[in-house]
Amino acid sequence: MFMLAATGWAVPPITQAGATAGTAAAHEEYLRGQALFSGTMDLHGRIYTHVADMPPTVVRCANCHAVGEGPDVKRSLAPRLTYSLLILPRTRRGGPPSHYSRDGFCTLLRKGIAPAFVMISVEMPRYSIDDVDCGAIWRYVTGRDREENR
Amino acid sequence: MKKTADFTRRQVCVGAAAAFATVFASAVTRASAVLVAADHGRVDPPVKVPDLPVRRAGDGASRGLAGLLHGRVTALHLMFTGCSTVCPIQGAIFERVQALLPDQAERGIQLMSLSIDPLLDTPRAMRAWLDRFAARDGWIAVAPQPKDLDRLLDVFGQGRDAVESHATQVNIIDRKGDLVFRTPELPSADSIANILRRV
Repeated sequence: MFMLAATGWAVPPITQAGATAGTAAAHEEYLRGQALFSGTMDLHGRIYTHVADMPPTVVRCANCHAVGEGPDVKRSLAPRLTYSLLILPRTRRGGPPSHYSRDGFCTLLRKGIAPAFVMISVEMPRYSIDDVDCGAIWRYVTGRDREENR
Repeated sequence: MKKTADFTRRQVCVGAAAAFATVFASAVTRASAVLVAADHGRVDPPVKVPDLPVRRAGDGASRGLAGLLHGRVTALHLMFTGCSTVCPIQGAIFERVQALLPDQAERGIQLMSLSIDPLLDTPRAMRAWLDRFAARDGWIAVAPQPKDLDRLLDVFGQGRDAVESHATQVNIIDRKGDLVFRTPELPSADSIANILRRV
């Protein structure tokens, strides 16, 4: 069982009345995303100018990014990842207004290219990540589990 | 006609921007003779690293920076132990550099992690930070006195004052204590090792 307190989001137990197979699957995906985000499960990523992956502990998403209403990452300038930041159209890195989709988010993680086709900084690792894990992180950072369990 | 007018306006804007850039660059040059160019590559002419007292990780002994640099080829990066963002990546890179240079001692090469948070980076905290990356002999961490930090950032900081967004380049210092080369941001261990072998 993963600890959710660190995120600041209370996720209701899936065994409560009314839970469906769909929400249970969504919940499992959310938990997987949380584990990948926090580093409980390893992510494999590298600085894009390098030829080898970095140790998983130094490329954890949670090293730089806060998520949702969770606690700050001290002394980090990386953006807090929230539903509104990712989903609502806004100008990013000097490009035209854009928003993330699940696929766009995965492209960013893999190739470092934002939805407005602007390349992000070298400090953000590029990850070798499949659709399942990428989708799980997307669900986690957009708080979709919270929405669907209301 | 409109296209021509737009083009002319664009030319004027480009010209004005170029003129501004020229004036700005010249002003920067005049204002700060010490500030090293915000770029990477060879530093020409080399810049003498100021001889300032620093505290070493572990025993906390105070030493002059020039004395620590003299006679060795040094790869120096900026870091602070309370940093969870880019500093762990920087540490992992230096760990790999050590693995790539088993003959580091024979070659007179050292790695130096320079704290930019001297108030919080105690000798013990810096020692613990080195241990996270299995640092061996030849990789040291030091912290300047707080009053001297700005002078070091003039040389190594790339014009970035905020601790949270510090430069992640690696500075190569020759045996005379001169800064002679600056890498791009977060260089690979292979590239650092290659440069160190050639200085």
